[in-house]
Amino acid sequence: MQKRVFLTLIVILLLIVGLLPVLSMVAKSLTVDGHLSFSAYEGVLASSYQWVLMGHSMVLSSIVTVLTVAVGVPLGILFGKTDFLLRRFFIFLFVIPLLIPPYISAVSWFDLLGTGGLLAPITSPRFTETVSRLLFGLPGCVLVLFSAFLSIPMVLTMVFLKSVNPRLEEAGRLVSGWRGVLKSITIPLILPGILLSAMLVFLLSFGEFGVPNFLRYDVFPVESFTQFSAFYNFKAATAAAVPLAVLTLAILAVEFWFLRDRGTGLSLAHEAAKAQPVRLGRYRTLMLMWVSLLAFLLVVLPLIVLLIQSAGFESYGEALNRAGDSLLRSILYAAAGATVLTLLGFFTGYLIQTKAVCFWRSVDFMTIFLFALPGTVIGIGLVSLWNHQWANFIYATPLIIILGYLARYTALTSRISATYLAQIPSSMEEAAQIAGASWFRRMALIVAPLAKRSLFASWIVGYIFSLRDTGITMLVYPAGHDTLPVRIFTLMANGSPGLIAALCILMIAVTIVPAGILWMISNPVSKKEAI
Amino acid sequence: MKIIELNSVSKGYNHDSAKALNEVSLKINSGERTVILGPSGCGKTTILRLIAGFIAPDSGSISIGGQKVAENGRILVDPEHRNLGMVFQDLALWPHLTVRGNIEFGLRARGIRKDDRKEKLKKILELVGLKGFGDRKPAQLSGGQQQRVALARALVLEPGVLLMDEPLSSLDFELNVRLRKEILRLHKELNFTLLYVTHNREEANDIATRVVVMNKGCISNDGSP
Repeated sequence: MQKRVFLTLIVILLLIVGLLPVLSMVAKSLTVDGHLSFSAYEGVLASSYQWVLMGHSMVLSSIVTVLTVAVGVPLGILFGKTDFLLRRFFIFLFVIPLLIPPYISAVSWFDLLGTGGLLAPITSPRFTETVSRLLFGLPGCVLVLFSAFLSIPMVLTMVFLKSVNPRLEEAGRLVSGWRGVLKSITIPLILPGILLSAMLVFLLSFGEFGVPNFLRYDVFPVESFTQFSAFYNFKAATAAAVPLAVLTLAILAVEFWFLRDRGTGLSLAHEAAKAQPVRLGRYRTLMLMWVSLLAFLLVVLPLIVLLIQSAGFESYGEALNRAGDSLLRSILYAAAGATVLTLLGFFTGYLIQTKAVCFWRSVDFMTIFLFALPGTVIGIGLVSLWNHQWANFIYATPLIIILGYLARYTALTSRISATYLAQIPSSMEEAAQIAGASWFRRMALIVAPLAKRSLFASWIVGYIFSLRDTGITMLVYPAGHDTLPVRIFTLMANGSPGLIAALCILMIAVTIVPAGILWMISNPVSKKEAI
Repeated sequence: MKIIELNSVSKGYNHDSAKALNEVSLKINSGERTVILGPSGCGKTTILRLIAGFIAPDSGSISIGGQKVAENGRILVDPEHRNLGMVFQDLALWPHLTVRGNIEFGLRARGIRKDDRKEKLKKILELVGLKGFGDRKPAQLSGGQQQRVALARALVLEPGVLLMDEPLSSLDFELNVRLRKEILRLHKELNFTLLYVTHNREEANDIATRVVVMNKGCISNDGSP
């Protein structure tokens, strides 16, 4: 009883925080003076420009998806399946761009390749102009988003590889070399993971507005954002946001339908860790060189550029002077968001994993849908629902930002929790239940301590994603409560390159340092456990 | 006196069209050592989980101590209120708690006072031969010692019925035989009702005063070993 009531309350909370804003937005876009009207949509659909924007969005996200999967999956196999050297170091390097707002990479590439960039003095004006023209447009957006999202297929491939029973591969190895085994056994088995990563990259690229906005490539999410923030045309903004929501829903529905029979349920096979790695032999050095080159170009070079641009105490002094308050707020809000996300994700993950309510699948779908929605759409939805006098205790306070984090990122923490909870035998909770413990007692004293590692992981992921959020925060932050990514985005219009680069470095530092410390704290603790 | 009563209980699982249990009726008397014997998938663990209250019967009813606890798809009394003890197949010892923590958990949940808890803990540890092991974690114990902790955890609550789901199946033959004797000794001393599930005929003959043979979700034989 306790369990059902509490978990139903969690679902209601998710509905209010996540789905209700989107529904409110759709409802408002369909009414004029209290009557049903499609005028806002007529404006959007009749304009050929909107279709061009939609085309741009589709082209951009398709190219980014194809490239990230084409490079990310082999990288994932290399790191997850072979005796590749320094794999942990390279995994860490490739993940960095995902941890920070993608537009920071765009700033870095601009500092390197722009007409006033670091390369300009040592190259011909014609070369600089050509490269700069390429950067400001589709190729530049592809480059930045490719580096930002490359680690998604890479990491998912590694995770799904761990779920493959090594005995299946060993059976194949008796009759075939590794190449054949990978092609005919391993890759088909991890195909759901590859498709999942492709879907995620597509949707994240499709919803991204910071990078196209900075690199002046007109895409659909930018239109929605511009209508809202520049013209404050709420109807047009929502009408532009709804197609994004519908497309997201459609892609997710296809994905769910397609993967339903193939199954995406991960069970981390501990045996997989004991599987013998594929020996690269003479290709080991060659692979190391290729991966090093890729990591240098996509990750190290942009970081070096930012460090060069921000060199000197002056830039950092100015950065702290002009954005120190935003920096502190960012850390505070991200920590608060991560804490609530961890709790909400834990109970949602439990609900999904144990199928505790009959509509658990809908809850799972809803959280994924909200995560896949562009941040701007959720932001507009939140404004639409909470921008009322009576809701000022939410709308005019940082609570609105936290609600945005919960709406969008619960999918991440709930999936992490569900995956870890799947590793805990149900008999652990049942033994406590039969001993007479109430549900809350079981959760607090048995399930949560056993899932300690997932709570750490959820907090870290929640913190990182809350900290890097730009789309939602940009639209909903109350006056005087902007976060660092928003402040950087605002200062980019008139701030000096040194200042912006220093702010970007600070942003990277506050993302990676606390997450790294927590990761180091959590790992030794968790290694002692053996369920 | 009947302590457990199953009346025409049926249970199916969504993924399987065949029923795990088909109209099973069973009465278990107080103090009896009943062993449910049968091959994998015959429904013996399902019976145990139905009695424990982890799942509800699709049809039929279950009574414990004369009280109806589940009926026609509904659980009327939750597992924590059925006063049962259970030893799981995988033992389900909580790895983050010490032996003391594992055994005391149920006592705390039932609001037993600290002094009484201490007394009960001391007594049960002596009874299962684990005196001095209270501060160890399950991972620091041998397989046999882990079995004893699981038994102690279930018995410390003085349950009306002790359910055991193939508890010795993962042990080697020698240890298996030794622990059977241990279970019989504990039963003699504490006189609880035992419902024991196994697929091992020899184990069943050793432990049971009554053997219920199951096949394809039905009881095919019921009598003395």
